[in-house]
Amino acid sequence: MKNTTYIEAITSALYEEMERDESVFMIGEDIGLYGGVFKATKGLQKRFGEERVIDSPISEAYIVGGCVGAAMVGMRPVPEIQFADFITPSMDQIIQQAAKIRYRSGGQWTCPMTVRVCCGGEVGGGLYHSQINEQWFFSQPGLIVVMPSTPYDAKGLLKSAIRGEDPVIYFEHKRLYRSVKEEIPEDDFTVPIGKAAIRREGKDITVVAYGLMCHKSMEAANILEKEGVTVELIDMRSLLPWDREMIFESVKKTSRAVLVQENTKTGGVMAEVSASITEEIFDYLDAPVTRVCGLDVPMLPFAPPLEHYFLPNAEKIVRAVRKVLEY
Amino acid sequence: MAANQTVAKPSLKQIGLSEDTLWGLYYYLMKTRLLDERFRKMFRQGRYAGTYFSAVGQEACTVGAVYGLRDEDIIGPSHREIGAAVTKGIPIKEMVAQVFARSTSVDKGKTHPCHYGSRAKGVINPASTVAGQTVVATGCAMAFKIQKKDNIAVAFFGEGATARGGWHEALNYAGIHKLPILFVCQNNLWAESVPARLQGAIEKFSDRAKAYGFPGVTIDGNDVVEVHKTAQEAIKRARAGEGPTFIECMTYRWYGHSEIDPADYRSQEELDTWKKKDPIPRHEKLLTDLGILTPQKREALVEEIDQEIDEAVKFAEESKYAEPEEAYRDVYSENFPVRRDEY
Repeated sequence: MKNTTYIEAITSALYEEMERDESVFMIGEDIGLYGGVFKATKGLQKRFGEERVIDSPISEAYIVGGCVGAAMVGMRPVPEIQFADFITPSMDQIIQQAAKIRYRSGGQWTCPMTVRVCCGGEVGGGLYHSQINEQWFFSQPGLIVVMPSTPYDAKGLLKSAIRGEDPVIYFEHKRLYRSVKEEIPEDDFTVPIGKAAIRREGKDITVVAYGLMCHKSMEAANILEKEGVTVELIDMRSLLPWDREMIFESVKKTSRAVLVQENTKTGGVMAEVSASITEEIFDYLDAPVTRVCGLDVPMLPFAPPLEHYFLPNAEKIVRAVRKVLEY
Repeated sequence: MAANQTVAKPSLKQIGLSEDTLWGLYYYLMKTRLLDERFRKMFRQGRYAGTYFSAVGQEACTVGAVYGLRDEDIIGPSHREIGAAVTKGIPIKEMVAQVFARSTSVDKGKTHPCHYGSRAKGVINPASTVAGQTVVATGCAMAFKIQKKDNIAVAFFGEGATARGGWHEALNYAGIHKLPILFVCQNNLWAESVPARLQGAIEKFSDRAKAYGFPGVTIDGNDVVEVHKTAQEAIKRARAGEGPTFIECMTYRWYGHSEIDPADYRSQEELDTWKKKDPIPRHEKLLTDLGILTPQKREALVEEIDQEIDEAVKFAEESKYAEPEEAYRDVYSENFPVRRDEY
C-alpha cells in the first residue's frame, strides 16, 4: 500500500498503462515538456518520448478528433483537455465521431479512447476555469462518462477506461488533485465502469453524489450523525452508464433521497436519477426526491462570495436532508 | 490548327503511366459513373428512401487519387465520395445495400444513403458534419507515424469544408508533424448553394497549404491522368516521411447537392461549359488514341459493369430491413449492454 494523492494516482495509472501497452499514447496542451498545468503528466515525456507524450498546438478539435482516428487504427489514445471549459471546440469530434463511429459502421470501427478532462470549481477559477460539463456527454449514447472522487477510483477507473473498447470521458476534479490522499495498493488493480460505491452505510436517507460533492456530502453526513441521522452515501463514480441497481436498492431501504450535483440543476445527471427513481420505485418513497445543485446560472462566477453561493456545500446538503426527513 | 497538320499520337512513355494503370483508371471511372447514374434513376423511381448525393462529373478526382492505394491506407471521405469507395474496392453489393438501408449493409441501415465505409477496405464510414473525416483521417496518419508503418491517409473534402475550424486544426497539425496524408479538395465551385468566392478570399484554395508549411497544388480535376500522377507523387512523399500534400482538383458536380436540390443557383451556361469537360470521354479519347480502347471493348465493359450493378440491386432489394431490435446494437462494446425500454 502507498499513501497517494488523487493526482499521483492519475499519473501512476498513465505511467503504468503506457509501460504495459505501447499503443497507449497521450496528446494535449502543455502535457509534455511542462508536465501538464497541474503536473498530472509530470515525467511522462521524459520516460516515453515525444512521440507518445505529445505537446499539441492549441487545437482541441484536433486533439480529440485526431485521437478518434488513431483509435480506429489500433492505438489507445489518452488525449487531455486542460480545462473542461475548453472542450467546446472538440464537441463535434466527441459527439459525431467518437460516440457514433461504432454505431454508424455497424461495429466495424471502434474508438477505444480516454479523454481526460480536468474540471470543477472551488478553486477560484471563475467562469472559464471551473466548469464541469458532464451533463452534455451524459445524454450521448455511445460515450462512457466517469468522475472519480478518491485516489483509488481515480487510478482504477482510468485503467479500466484505457483498457476498454469504448470512448470514455474521464472527468478529474482539480479541487481533489492534492486535497485527498489515501493508501492504495501498489499492485495492478482496476475499478469496474458502471458500478457505484457505498461510502457510508445508513438507514434514514440516501444521499447520492459524485466527484467533489461526495466529500461535501460526507461532511454533511458527519454533521447529521450528531443529530442522530444516519446517511447512506453513494458515490456514483460512473455517470454513463450509472448504477441504477445500487441506488434503487438503497432508496428502497431508506425511502428518502437527496441528490447532490456541483453543476447547474436543469437537465443535469441528477435530474435523470431523480426521474428514474420516481418512475421505477415510486411506491417506496416517503418524501419527494430532492436535489442540491449548482445554481442555474453560468458555471461559475469568479468573486469568492459568488463562487461560494453558487456551489453546494455541507450546510446546504444538511438543510435539504432535514427538509426531506421532516416531510 | 491547320487541317493538314498531323498530330503526334501520345505515347505511354510521354504519359508516364502503364497500359494497365490507364485501363484501371478507366474501369473505375466507368464503374463509378454507371453506379452513380443508376442510383439517381432508382431514387427517382422511389426505390429507396432519404436522398442521394451524386458525384457525376467529379469522378476523376476520387478515382485518380485512390487508384493504387493499399487496403491498409485509410480514406476519410465526405458524402460525395462514391468514386473513392468504388476504387478502394468496396463491393458494389455492399454499396447498394447501404443506399437501400438494408440489413445486408455494413451499417445495417443506421446511417443514411451514400455514407459508404468499410474497415476491410480502409474507408471510414463518414459522419455528415463537413470536414469531420479530415480531422479523423489526420489522426489515422498520426497513428501510422507512431506505429512506424508506411501506410498513408487520404482525406477528401470540398472547397467549402476549408472554411471550418477543425479542418484548419488538422492541416496545421499534419504540417507540424509531417504526417503521411493527402488532403484532396474537390473544388466544384459550389458548396451546396454558396459559391466558392464566399468560402474564402483566395483564388486557389491550395494556397491554404502554404500557411501550414507543406506543398499545395491546383490541378485539372477532370483529367484522371493528371490527378493520378499528382496523387502518386504525393503518396510517394507521404510514405517516405516527407509530409502532407494539398491537392486541389478543379471540377464540377453536374446535379444538385442532393437529388432534392434543383441547383437553380447556377447558370445553364456554366453547367454546359463543364459538361463539355466530362472526364470520361476525355479519358476515352486518350485510350482510343493509344489503341487501348475500341468501341467493342467499351461495350463489353459497360455490359460487365451493368450486370454487376443489376446483381447488386437484386441483392439489395431482396435483402430485408434489419429487425427493429437492431437499433439497440453497436452502441457500445459487449461490456456495456444498452438498457432497453418497453413502451
